[in-house]
Amino acid sequence: MPKSARGDAPLLPKGFKRLTPLVADWVLADSRARLEKRLTTPPAEIRAFYDQMLSLAPKALAYLAQRQLGELDAAEERLLKLLLSLAEMGPAVEWYGTGEYPDGFDARRFRLIEQMPDNAPQGVSA
Amino acid sequence: MNAKQKITAPTFAARHPELGTGPVSTDVYCDPAFYDRELAAIFKRTWLCVGRVEQAPKPGDFFQKALPTFGYSVIVARARDKQLRAFYNVCQHRGNHVELRQRGHCVGFTCPFHGWTYGLDGKLVGVPDASGFFDLDKGKLGLRQLALDVWEGFIFVNMDEKPSQTLEEAMGEQGRDLVGYPFASGQAVFEYEGTINCNWKSMIDSFCETYHVPVLHRHSVKDTLAGPDNPYGRLIDCRLKGPHRTQSVWGNMAYTPNPVQGLAWQNAPGPAVTSGVVDASVTLPKGLNETRAKHWSLDVTVFFPNWIIVMGSGMYFTHQMWPLAANKVVWQMRGFLRPASNAAQRFGQENSMVELRDAVLEDCNTLERIQTAQDEGLITEMVYHDHEIALRHQYHVVKQWVEDFEKSGNKKGKGAR
Repeated sequence: MPKSARGDAPLLPKGFKRLTPLVADWVLADSRARLEKRLTTPPAEIRAFYDQMLSLAPKALAYLAQRQLGELDAAEERLLKLLLSLAEMGPAVEWYGTGEYPDGFDARRFRLIEQMPDNAPQGVSA
Repeated sequence: MNAKQKITAPTFAARHPELGTGPVSTDVYCDPAFYDRELAAIFKRTWLCVGRVEQAPKPGDFFQKALPTFGYSVIVARARDKQLRAFYNVCQHRGNHVELRQRGHCVGFTCPFHGWTYGLDGKLVGVPDASGFFDLDKGKLGLRQLALDVWEGFIFVNMDEKPSQTLEEAMGEQGRDLVGYPFASGQAVFEYEGTINCNWKSMIDSFCETYHVPVLHRHSVKDTLAGPDNPYGRLIDCRLKGPHRTQSVWGNMAYTPNPVQGLAWQNAPGPAVTSGVVDASVTLPKGLNETRAKHWSLDVTVFFPNWIIVMGSGMYFTHQMWPLAANKVVWQMRGFLRPASNAAQRFGQENSMVELRDAVLEDCNTLERIQTAQDEGLITEMVYHDHEIALRHQYHVVKQWVEDFEKSGNKKGKGAR
Protein backbone atom coordinates (compact mmCIF):
# COMPACT_ATOMS: atom_id res chain seq x y z
CA MET A 1 0.00 0.00 0.00
CA PRO A 2 1.41 3.45 -0.86
CA LYS A 3 2.34 5.70 1.99
CA SER A 4 0.37 8.89 2.27
CA ALA A 5 2.15 12.11 1.39
CA ARG A 6 2.19 13.53 4.92
CA GLY A 7 3.01 11.03 7.60
CA ASP A 8 -0.25 9.88 9.13
CA ALA A 9 -2.58 11.77 6.79
CA PRO A 10 -5.39 9.42 5.73
CA LEU A 11 -5.32 8.06 2.19
CA LEU A 12 -9.00 8.82 1.69
CA PRO A 13 -11.40 11.43 3.10
CA LYS A 14 -13.12 10.74 6.39
CA GLY A 15 -15.95 8.26 6.03
CA PHE A 16 -14.29 6.27 3.24
CA LYS A 17 -11.69 4.33 5.24
CA ARG A 18 -13.30 1.07 4.19
CA LEU A 19 -12.07 1.69 0.62
CA THR A 20 -8.42 2.14 1.67
CA PRO A 21 -7.39 -1.42 0.65
CA LEU A 22 -8.45 -0.58 -2.93
CA VAL A 23 -6.13 2.42 -3.27
CA ALA A 24 -2.96 0.52 -4.13
CA ASP A 25 -4.43 -1.28 -7.15
CA TRP A 26 -7.27 0.93 -8.35
CA VAL A 27 -6.03 4.54 -8.12
CA LEU A 28 -4.63 4.80 -11.64
CA ALA A 29 -2.90 7.45 -13.71
CA ASP A 30 -5.50 8.14 -16.36
CA SER A 31 -8.17 6.71 -18.67
CA ARG A 32 -5.62 4.71 -20.68
CA ALA A 33 -4.34 3.01 -17.51
CA ARG A 34 -7.88 2.19 -16.43
CA LEU A 35 -8.68 0.40 -19.70
CA GLU A 36 -5.42 -1.55 -19.44
CA LYS A 37 -6.36 -2.54 -15.87
CA ARG A 38 -9.74 -3.75 -17.09
CA LEU A 39 -8.19 -5.83 -19.88
CA THR A 40 -5.61 -7.46 -17.60
CA THR A 41 -7.64 -8.14 -14.44
CA PRO A 42 -9.47 -11.46 -13.92
CA PRO A 43 -13.28 -11.09 -13.92
CA ALA A 44 -13.58 -12.15 -10.27
CA GLU A 45 -11.22 -9.38 -9.15
CA ILE A 46 -13.10 -6.80 -11.21
CA ARG A 47 -16.32 -8.01 -9.63
CA ALA A 48 -14.89 -7.75 -6.11
CA PHE A 49 -13.73 -4.18 -6.76
CA TYR A 50 -17.11 -3.32 -8.27
CA ASP A 51 -19.02 -4.68 -5.26
CA GLN A 52 -16.84 -2.94 -2.69
CA MET A 53 -17.01 0.37 -4.53
CA LEU A 54 -20.71 0.23 -5.25
CA SER A 55 -21.56 0.06 -1.56
CA LEU A 56 -19.96 3.47 -0.95
CA ALA A 57 -20.23 5.05 -4.41
CA PRO A 58 -23.46 7.02 -3.75
CA LYS A 59 -21.92 8.54 -0.63
CA ALA A 60 -18.63 9.25 -2.44
CA LEU A 61 -20.43 10.95 -5.32
CA ALA A 62 -22.49 13.06 -2.90
CA TYR A 63 -19.22 14.09 -1.23
CA LEU A 64 -17.51 15.00 -4.50
CA ALA A 65 -20.58 16.84 -5.76
CA GLN A 66 -19.63 19.46 -3.17
CA ARG A 67 -16.10 19.77 -4.57
CA GLN A 68 -14.63 21.27 -7.72
CA LEU A 69 -12.16 19.66 -10.11
CA GLY A 70 -8.70 21.18 -9.66
CA GLU A 71 -9.40 21.99 -6.01
CA LEU A 72 -9.30 18.47 -4.56
CA ASP A 73 -6.73 17.54 -1.93
CA ALA A 74 -4.72 14.33 -2.38
CA ALA A 75 -7.19 12.16 -0.44
CA GLU A 76 -10.16 13.53 -2.38
CA GLU A 77 -8.35 13.00 -5.66
CA ARG A 78 -7.75 9.34 -4.74
CA LEU A 79 -11.45 8.96 -4.01
CA LEU A 80 -12.30 10.46 -7.40
CA LYS A 81 -9.83 8.13 -9.12
CA LEU A 82 -11.41 5.11 -7.44
CA LEU A 83 -14.74 6.25 -8.85
CA LEU A 84 -13.22 6.72 -12.30
CA SER A 85 -11.98 3.13 -12.16
CA LEU A 86 -15.54 2.14 -11.24
CA ALA A 87 -16.79 4.04 -14.32
CA GLU A 88 -14.47 1.89 -16.47
CA MET A 89 -15.33 -1.39 -14.69
CA GLY A 90 -19.10 -0.73 -14.64
CA PRO A 91 -19.75 -1.98 -18.20
CA ALA A 92 -17.26 -4.84 -17.68
CA VAL A 93 -19.56 -6.18 -14.96
CA GLU A 94 -22.96 -4.92 -16.07
CA TRP A 95 -22.66 -5.49 -19.81
CA TYR A 96 -20.11 -8.24 -20.36
CA GLY A 97 -19.35 -10.07 -17.12
CA THR A 98 -15.68 -9.89 -18.05
CA GLY A 99 -13.01 -7.23 -18.61
CA GLU A 100 -12.49 -8.35 -22.18
CA TYR A 101 -14.99 -8.08 -24.99
CA PRO A 102 -16.97 -11.12 -26.13
CA ASP A 103 -16.63 -11.05 -29.94
CA GLY A 104 -15.36 -7.51 -29.62
CA PHE A 105 -12.66 -5.69 -31.53
CA ASP A 106 -9.22 -5.59 -29.87
CA ALA A 107 -9.65 -2.64 -27.50
CA ARG A 108 -5.94 -1.82 -27.74
CA ARG A 109 -6.43 -1.01 -31.41
CA PHE A 110 -8.43 2.05 -30.33
CA ARG A 111 -5.83 4.63 -29.28
CA LEU A 112 -7.08 7.27 -26.86
CA ILE A 113 -5.15 10.13 -28.45
CA GLU A 114 -6.77 12.85 -26.38
CA GLN A 115 -8.21 12.23 -22.93
CA MET A 116 -10.05 14.29 -20.34
CA PRO A 117 -7.76 15.10 -17.39
CA ASP A 118 -8.91 13.36 -14.21
CA ASN A 119 -8.73 16.39 -11.97
CA ALA A 120 -8.45 19.71 -13.80
CA PRO A 121 -10.95 22.56 -14.00
CA GLN A 122 -13.16 22.40 -17.08
CA GLY A 123 -14.70 25.25 -19.06
CA VAL A 124 -17.94 26.96 -18.20
CA SER A 125 -21.05 25.62 -19.89
CA ALA A 126 -21.91 27.70 -22.96
CA MET B 1 -44.22 -3.43 -23.12
CA ASN B 2 -45.36 0.13 -23.01
CA ALA B 3 -48.04 0.95 -25.58
CA LYS B 4 -47.31 4.66 -25.38
CA GLN B 5 -43.79 4.28 -26.75
CA LYS B 6 -44.31 1.38 -29.17
CA ILE B 7 -42.64 2.38 -32.41
CA THR B 8 -44.71 3.08 -35.49
CA ALA B 9 -41.92 3.12 -38.01
CA PRO B 10 -42.35 4.74 -41.41
CA THR B 11 -41.34 3.07 -44.66
CA PHE B 12 -38.66 4.92 -46.55
CA ALA B 13 -38.38 3.30 -49.99
CA ALA B 14 -41.60 4.91 -51.19
CA ARG B 15 -40.19 8.35 -50.36
CA HIS B 16 -37.13 7.72 -52.51
CA PRO B 17 -38.08 5.69 -55.58
CA GLU B 18 -34.89 6.90 -57.30
CA LEU B 19 -32.84 4.67 -54.98
CA GLY B 20 -34.69 1.48 -55.94
CA THR B 21 -35.17 -1.56 -53.74
CA GLY B 22 -32.98 -4.18 -55.45
CA PRO B 23 -29.61 -5.57 -54.37
CA VAL B 24 -26.64 -3.19 -54.40
CA SER B 25 -23.22 -4.15 -55.76
CA THR B 26 -20.26 -4.35 -53.38
CA ASP B 27 -17.95 -3.01 -56.10
CA VAL B 28 -17.53 0.44 -54.59
CA TYR B 29 -16.35 -1.11 -51.31
CA CYS B 30 -13.49 -3.22 -52.60
CA ASP B 31 -12.33 -2.17 -56.07
CA PRO B 32 -8.92 -0.44 -55.85
CA ALA B 33 -9.54 1.33 -59.17
CA PHE B 34 -12.77 2.80 -57.87
CA TYR B 35 -10.95 3.91 -54.75
CA ASP B 36 -8.51 5.94 -56.87
CA ARG B 37 -11.44 7.53 -58.67
CA GLU B 38 -13.02 8.45 -55.31
CA LEU B 39 -9.89 10.21 -54.16
CA ALA B 40 -9.77 12.38 -57.27
CA ALA B 41 -13.50 13.04 -57.54
CA ILE B 42 -14.38 13.36 -53.85
CA PHE B 43 -11.61 13.73 -51.31
CA LYS B 44 -9.49 16.20 -53.28
CA ARG B 45 -12.41 18.54 -53.86
CA THR B 46 -14.84 18.40 -50.96
CA TRP B 47 -14.80 20.24 -47.63
CA LEU B 48 -13.15 18.17 -44.89
CA CYS B 49 -13.47 18.95 -41.18
CA VAL B 50 -10.16 19.56 -39.38
CA GLY B 51 -11.19 20.90 -35.97
CA ARG B 52 -13.11 23.49 -34.01
CA VAL B 53 -12.61 27.19 -33.42
CA GLU B 54 -12.04 26.56 -29.68
CA GLN B 55 -8.75 24.88 -30.63
CA ALA B 56 -7.34 28.26 -31.73
CA PRO B 57 -9.37 30.98 -29.97
CA LYS B 58 -6.76 33.75 -29.72
CA PRO B 59 -4.40 35.42 -32.19
CA GLY B 60 -1.18 33.38 -32.17
CA ASP B 61 -2.95 30.09 -31.43
CA PHE B 62 -2.45 27.23 -33.86
CA PHE B 63 -3.01 23.51 -34.14
CA GLN B 64 -1.88 20.86 -36.55
CA LYS B 65 -4.13 18.25 -38.12
CA ALA B 66 -2.81 15.18 -39.90
CA LEU B 67 -4.81 14.11 -42.95
CA PRO B 68 -4.01 10.38 -43.17
CA THR B 69 -5.56 10.00 -46.62
CA PHE B 70 -3.04 12.40 -48.09
CA GLY B 71 -0.09 11.63 -45.83
CA TYR B 72 0.50 15.26 -44.96
CA SER B 73 -0.72 17.61 -42.27
CA VAL B 74 -2.18 21.08 -42.26
CA ILE B 75 -1.65 23.91 -39.79
CA VAL B 76 -4.65 25.99 -38.75
CA ALA B 77 -3.55 29.33 -37.27
CA ARG B 78 -5.22 32.50 -36.06
CA ALA B 79 -3.18 35.55 -37.02
CA ARG B 80 -3.13 39.04 -35.49
CA ASP B 81 -5.98 40.07 -37.79
CA LYS B 82 -8.01 37.36 -35.91
CA GLN B 83 -8.55 35.45 -39.16
CA LEU B 84 -8.12 31.68 -39.25
CA ARG B 85 -6.01 30.34 -42.10
CA ALA B 86 -4.95 26.85 -43.09
CA PHE B 87 -1.56 25.98 -44.57
CA TYR B 88 0.16 22.84 -45.73
CA ASN B 89 2.84 22.12 -43.13
CA VAL B 90 5.53 22.34 -45.77
CA CYS B 91 8.50 24.70 -45.85
CA GLN B 92 8.86 26.32 -49.27
CA HIS B 93 12.65 25.96 -49.15
CA ARG B 94 13.07 22.18 -49.16
CA GLY B 95 9.73 20.74 -48.01
CA ASN B 96 10.32 19.95 -44.34
CA HIS B 97 7.59 20.52 -41.76
CA VAL B 98 7.71 24.10 -40.45
CA GLU B 99 5.90 23.16 -37.21
CA LEU B 100 6.34 19.98 -35.19
CA ARG B 101 4.08 20.74 -32.20
CA GLN B 102 0.49 19.53 -32.38
CA ARG B 103 -0.82 22.77 -30.89
CA GLY B 104 0.48 25.89 -29.26
CA HIS B 105 0.81 29.65 -29.28
CA CYS B 106 3.47 31.45 -31.29
CA VAL B 107 4.34 34.56 -33.28
CA GLY B 108 5.18 32.51 -36.38
CA PHE B 109 6.61 29.26 -37.66
CA THR B 110 10.31 28.46 -37.95
CA CYS B 111 11.38 25.48 -40.02
CA PRO B 112 13.65 23.31 -37.86
CA PHE B 113 15.77 22.42 -40.94
CA HIS B 114 17.42 25.74 -42.00
CA GLY B 115 15.44 28.23 -39.96
CA TRP B 116 13.18 29.82 -42.56
CA THR B 117 10.47 31.71 -40.71
CA TYR B 118 6.86 32.41 -41.63
CA GLY B 119 4.26 34.67 -40.07
CA LEU B 120 0.93 33.42 -38.72
CA ASP B 121 -0.52 34.70 -42.01
CA GLY B 122 1.82 32.35 -43.90
CA LYS B 123 4.08 35.05 -45.32
CA LEU B 124 7.78 34.26 -45.52
CA VAL B 125 9.43 36.74 -43.17
CA GLY B 126 12.94 35.42 -42.58
CA VAL B 127 15.62 33.55 -44.53
CA PRO B 128 18.98 33.02 -42.80
CA ASP B 129 21.92 34.16 -44.99
CA ALA B 130 19.47 35.30 -47.65
CA SER B 131 22.24 36.92 -49.72
CA GLY B 132 23.47 33.47 -50.71
CA PHE B 133 20.30 32.70 -52.71
CA PHE B 134 19.69 33.66 -56.33
CA ASP B 135 16.77 35.94 -57.24
CA LEU B 136 14.93 35.01 -54.03
CA ASP B 137 11.37 36.39 -54.16
CA LYS B 138 10.03 36.13 -50.62
CA GLY B 139 6.61 37.30 -51.78
CA LYS B 140 6.20 34.08 -53.77
CA LEU B 141 7.49 31.71 -51.11
CA GLY B 142 4.86 31.96 -48.41
CA LEU B 143 3.32 28.81 -46.94
CA ARG B 144 0.85 27.22 -49.36
CA GLN B 145 -2.62 28.06 -48.17
CA LEU B 146 -5.78 25.95 -48.40
CA ALA B 147 -9.35 27.16 -48.64
CA LEU B 148 -10.80 27.37 -45.11
CA ASP B 149 -14.29 28.09 -43.87
CA VAL B 150 -16.27 27.58 -40.67
CA TRP B 151 -19.69 26.03 -40.04
CA GLU B 152 -21.14 26.24 -36.50
CA GLY B 153 -17.64 26.47 -35.05
CA PHE B 154 -16.27 23.52 -37.05
CA ILE B 155 -13.29 24.35 -39.28
CA PHE B 156 -13.20 22.83 -42.77
CA VAL B 157 -10.52 22.88 -45.46
CA ASN B 158 -10.65 22.00 -49.14
CA MET B 159 -7.74 20.67 -51.22
CA ASP B 160 -9.24 22.20 -54.34
CA GLU B 161 -7.61 25.59 -55.00
CA LYS B 162 -10.93 26.83 -56.35
CA PRO B 163 -13.64 24.79 -54.60
CA SER B 164 -16.66 24.15 -56.79
CA GLN B 165 -18.95 24.88 -53.83
CA THR B 166 -18.67 27.17 -50.83
CA LEU B 167 -18.83 25.41 -47.47
CA GLU B 168 -22.30 26.87 -46.95
CA GLU B 169 -23.44 25.45 -50.28
CA ALA B 170 -21.87 22.09 -49.49
CA MET B 171 -23.54 21.83 -46.07
CA GLY B 172 -26.81 22.83 -47.72
CA GLU B 173 -30.20 22.24 -46.17
CA GLN B 174 -28.82 19.67 -43.72
CA GLY B 175 -26.31 22.21 -42.42
CA ARG B 176 -28.90 24.97 -42.11
CA ASP B 177 -31.27 22.68 -40.23
CA LEU B 178 -28.71 22.02 -37.47
CA VAL B 179 -27.77 25.65 -36.86
CA GLY B 180 -28.27 26.44 -33.18
CA TYR B 181 -27.31 23.07 -31.71
CA PRO B 182 -25.13 23.82 -28.64
CA PHE B 183 -21.91 22.55 -30.22
CA ALA B 184 -19.78 25.04 -28.26
CA SER B 185 -20.98 23.60 -24.93
CA GLY B 186 -19.02 20.40 -25.57
CA GLN B 187 -15.87 21.57 -23.83
CA ALA B 188 -14.73 18.31 -22.24
CA VAL B 189 -13.14 16.52 -25.15
CA PHE B 190 -11.70 13.07 -25.81
CA GLU B 191 -10.62 11.39 -29.01
CA TYR B 192 -10.03 7.81 -30.11
CA GLU B 193 -8.25 6.77 -33.28
CA GLY B 194 -7.93 3.42 -34.93
CA THR B 195 -6.87 1.86 -38.21
CA ILE B 196 -9.51 -0.58 -39.42
CA ASN B 197 -9.08 -2.93 -42.36
CA CYS B 198 -12.26 -1.95 -44.14
CA ASN B 199 -13.58 0.47 -46.72
CA TRP B 200 -14.29 3.97 -45.44
CA LYS B 201 -17.90 3.76 -46.56
CA SER B 202 -18.50 0.47 -44.73
CA MET B 203 -17.56 2.14 -41.51
CA ILE B 204 -19.97 5.00 -42.20
CA ASP B 205 -22.66 2.43 -43.01
CA SER B 206 -22.14 0.73 -39.65
CA PHE B 207 -23.36 3.89 -37.89
CA CYS B 208 -26.25 4.50 -40.29
CA GLU B 209 -28.69 1.76 -39.43
CA THR B 210 -30.03 0.46 -36.13
CA TYR B 211 -31.32 -2.86 -37.47
CA HIS B 212 -28.15 -4.34 -35.90
CA VAL B 213 -28.69 -2.85 -32.42
CA PRO B 214 -30.73 -5.68 -30.84
CA VAL B 215 -28.26 -8.33 -32.06
CA LEU B 216 -24.74 -6.93 -32.38
CA HIS B 217 -25.17 -4.74 -29.29
CA ARG B 218 -26.97 -7.46 -27.30
CA HIS B 219 -24.57 -6.98 -24.37
CA SER B 220 -24.67 -3.18 -24.31
CA VAL B 221 -27.20 -0.75 -25.80
CA LYS B 222 -29.82 -3.26 -26.97
CA ASP B 223 -32.22 -2.26 -24.20
CA THR B 224 -31.68 1.50 -24.40
CA LEU B 225 -31.72 2.10 -28.18
CA ALA B 226 -34.07 -0.83 -28.88
CA GLY B 227 -36.08 -3.03 -26.49
CA PRO B 228 -39.45 -4.73 -26.20
CA ASP B 229 -41.30 -1.78 -27.75
CA ASN B 230 -38.89 -1.61 -30.70
CA PRO B 231 -37.58 -5.18 -30.92
CA TYR B 232 -35.97 -4.87 -34.37
CA GLY B 233 -34.31 -1.50 -33.86
CA ARG B 234 -36.52 0.40 -36.28
CA LEU B 235 -35.65 4.02 -36.93
CA ILE B 236 -37.93 6.88 -35.96
CA ASP B 237 -37.02 8.58 -39.21
CA CYS B 238 -34.43 8.78 -41.97
CA ARG B 239 -34.03 12.00 -43.92
CA LEU B 240 -31.94 12.36 -47.06
CA LYS B 241 -30.92 15.94 -47.84
CA GLY B 242 -28.77 16.18 -50.96
CA PRO B 243 -25.65 14.05 -50.40
CA HIS B 244 -26.18 14.06 -46.61
CA ARG B 245 -28.36 11.77 -44.51
CA THR B 246 -29.77 11.68 -40.98
CA GLN B 247 -31.21 8.89 -38.85
CA SER B 248 -33.36 9.65 -35.83
CA VAL B 249 -32.85 6.88 -33.33
CA TRP B 250 -35.47 5.64 -30.90
CA GLY B 251 -34.84 5.58 -27.14
CA ASN B 252 -36.36 3.29 -24.53
CA MET B 253 -37.74 5.58 -21.83
CA ALA B 254 -38.92 2.53 -19.84
CA TYR B 255 -35.36 1.24 -19.36
CA THR B 256 -34.05 0.84 -15.81
CA PRO B 257 -30.29 1.44 -15.71
CA ASN B 258 -27.78 -0.92 -14.11
CA PRO B 259 -26.38 0.19 -10.72
CA VAL B 260 -23.15 1.91 -11.80
CA GLN B 261 -24.76 3.08 -15.02
CA GLY B 262 -27.57 4.70 -13.01
CA LEU B 263 -25.10 6.50 -10.74
CA ALA B 264 -23.22 7.70 -13.81
CA TRP B 265 -26.38 9.06 -15.39
CA GLN B 266 -27.31 10.88 -12.18
CA ASN B 267 -23.87 12.42 -12.03
CA ALA B 268 -23.32 13.33 -15.68
CA PRO B 269 -23.34 16.95 -16.90
CA GLY B 270 -25.71 15.80 -19.66
CA PRO B 271 -27.40 12.55 -20.71
CA ALA B 272 -25.08 10.01 -22.38
CA VAL B 273 -25.92 9.18 -26.00
CA THR B 274 -26.04 5.52 -25.04
CA SER B 275 -28.70 6.16 -22.39
CA GLY B 276 -31.85 6.77 -24.41
CA VAL B 277 -32.48 9.69 -22.04
CA VAL B 278 -33.33 13.27 -23.14
CA ASP B 279 -32.65 16.58 -21.44
CA ALA B 280 -35.94 18.34 -22.09
CA SER B 281 -34.48 21.74 -21.23
CA VAL B 282 -32.42 21.79 -24.45
CA THR B 283 -34.06 23.52 -27.41
CA LEU B 284 -33.39 21.38 -30.44
CA PRO B 285 -32.79 22.90 -33.86
CA LYS B 286 -35.27 22.02 -36.63
CA GLY B 287 -33.07 19.30 -38.08
CA LEU B 288 -32.58 17.36 -34.84
CA ASN B 289 -35.35 14.87 -34.09
CA GLU B 290 -37.17 16.61 -36.90
CA THR B 291 -40.40 14.67 -36.41
CA ARG B 292 -40.32 15.68 -32.71
CA ALA B 293 -40.81 12.07 -31.63
CA LYS B 294 -41.22 11.67 -27.87
CA HIS B 295 -39.17 8.50 -27.61
CA TRP B 296 -36.11 9.89 -29.32
CA SER B 297 -32.55 9.42 -28.10
CA LEU B 298 -30.14 10.72 -30.75
CA ASP B 299 -29.65 11.69 -34.37
CA VAL B 300 -26.85 10.45 -36.60
CA THR B 301 -26.08 12.94 -39.35
CA VAL B 302 -23.60 12.05 -42.08
CA PHE B 303 -22.15 15.01 -43.92
CA PHE B 304 -20.80 13.85 -47.25
CA PRO B 305 -18.24 12.56 -47.69
CA ASN B 306 -16.57 11.43 -44.45
CA TRP B 307 -17.89 13.22 -41.37
CA ILE B 308 -20.61 12.08 -38.95
CA ILE B 309 -22.08 13.97 -36.01
CA VAL B 310 -24.02 11.94 -33.46
CA MET B 311 -26.09 14.32 -31.37
CA GLY B 312 -28.08 13.73 -28.22
CA SER B 313 -29.59 16.35 -25.98
CA GLY B 314 -26.66 16.26 -23.54
CA MET B 315 -23.54 15.38 -25.52
CA TYR B 316 -22.38 14.76 -29.05
CA PHE B 317 -19.51 13.10 -30.83
CA THR B 318 -18.11 12.96 -34.32
CA HIS B 319 -16.69 10.16 -36.45
CA GLN B 320 -14.33 10.90 -39.29
CA MET B 321 -13.11 8.38 -41.82
CA TRP B 322 -9.80 8.89 -43.62
CA PRO B 323 -9.35 6.21 -46.28
CA LEU B 324 -5.87 4.75 -46.86
CA ALA B 325 -6.87 2.14 -49.46
CA ALA B 326 -10.05 0.48 -50.73
CA ASN B 327 -9.85 -1.80 -47.71
CA LYS B 328 -8.19 0.34 -45.04
CA VAL B 329 -9.33 3.41 -43.12
CA VAL B 330 -8.15 5.60 -40.28
CA TRP B 331 -11.13 6.33 -38.04
CA GLN B 332 -11.26 9.14 -35.51
CA MET B 333 -13.99 9.57 -32.91
CA ARG B 334 -14.03 12.81 -30.98
CA GLY B 335 -16.39 13.16 -28.02
CA PHE B 336 -17.70 16.51 -26.79
CA LEU B 337 -19.20 16.51 -23.30
CA ARG B 338 -20.55 19.38 -21.27
CA PRO B 339 -18.05 20.57 -18.64
CA ALA B 340 -18.35 19.07 -15.18
CA SER B 341 -19.91 21.52 -12.75
CA ASN B 342 -18.55 19.52 -9.79
CA ALA B 343 -16.03 16.73 -9.20
CA ALA B 344 -18.69 13.98 -9.10
CA GLN B 345 -19.66 14.74 -12.71
CA ARG B 346 -16.19 13.68 -13.84
CA PHE B 347 -17.41 10.14 -12.97
CA GLY B 348 -20.44 10.54 -15.24
CA GLN B 349 -18.22 11.84 -18.05
CA GLU B 350 -15.86 8.87 -17.75
CA ASN B 351 -18.72 6.40 -17.94
CA SER B 352 -20.23 8.19 -20.97
CA MET B 353 -16.87 7.83 -22.73
CA VAL B 354 -16.41 4.19 -21.72
CA GLU B 355 -19.93 3.12 -22.76
CA LEU B 356 -19.52 4.83 -26.12
CA ARG B 357 -16.12 3.22 -26.75
CA ASP B 358 -17.42 -0.20 -25.75
CA ALA B 359 -20.39 0.05 -28.12
CA VAL B 360 -18.13 1.09 -31.01
CA LEU B 361 -15.73 -1.78 -30.26
CA GLU B 362 -18.68 -4.07 -30.89
CA ASP B 363 -19.15 -2.54 -34.35
CA CYS B 364 -15.61 -3.04 -35.59
CA ASN B 365 -15.11 -6.81 -35.80
CA THR B 366 -17.91 -7.05 -38.34
CA LEU B 367 -16.21 -4.48 -40.57
CA GLU B 368 -13.03 -6.47 -41.11
CA ARG B 369 -14.96 -9.70 -41.70
CA ILE B 370 -17.24 -8.00 -44.23
CA GLN B 371 -14.23 -6.54 -46.02
CA THR B 372 -12.57 -9.93 -46.36
CA ALA B 373 -15.78 -11.40 -47.77
CA GLN B 374 -16.01 -8.56 -50.32
CA ASP B 375 -12.32 -8.63 -51.25
CA GLU B 376 -12.50 -12.38 -51.84
CA GLY B 377 -15.71 -12.16 -53.86
CA LEU B 378 -17.64 -14.21 -51.32
CA ILE B 379 -20.35 -11.58 -51.33
CA THR B 380 -20.93 -9.42 -54.40
CA GLU B 381 -24.28 -7.82 -53.65
CA MET B 382 -25.99 -6.46 -50.55
CA VAL B 383 -29.73 -6.82 -49.95
CA TYR B 384 -30.89 -3.92 -47.86
CA HIS B 385 -33.78 -3.61 -45.38
CA ASP B 386 -36.01 -0.57 -45.80
CA HIS B 387 -34.43 0.86 -42.64
CA GLU B 388 -30.98 0.45 -44.19
CA ILE B 389 -31.88 3.06 -46.81
CA ALA B 390 -29.03 5.32 -45.70
CA LEU B 391 -26.56 2.68 -46.96
CA ARG B 392 -28.32 2.58 -50.32
CA HIS B 393 -28.21 6.37 -50.37
CA GLN B 394 -24.46 6.50 -49.75
CA TYR B 395 -23.84 4.03 -52.58
CA HIS B 396 -25.82 6.15 -55.04
CA VAL B 397 -24.34 9.46 -53.90
CA VAL B 398 -20.74 8.25 -54.15
CA LYS B 399 -21.24 6.63 -57.57
CA GLN B 400 -23.05 9.70 -58.89
CA TRP B 401 -20.41 12.09 -57.53
CA VAL B 402 -17.59 10.15 -59.21
CA GLU B 403 -19.44 9.79 -62.52
CA ASP B 404 -20.46 13.46 -62.64
CA PHE B 405 -16.88 14.54 -61.98
CA GLU B 406 -15.53 12.32 -64.74
CA LYS B 407 -18.27 13.35 -67.19
CA SER B 408 -17.29 16.97 -66.69
CA GLY B 409 -13.98 16.19 -68.43
CA ASN B 410 -11.77 15.37 -65.50
CA LYS B 411 -9.22 12.60 -65.50
CA LYS B 412 -10.17 9.21 -64.13
CA GLY B 413 -8.50 7.55 -61.22
CA LYS B 414 -5.51 9.61 -60.26
CA GLY B 415 -4.47 8.88 -56.69
CA ALA B 416 -4.30 11.56 -54.04
CA ARG B 417 -0.65 11.27 -53.18
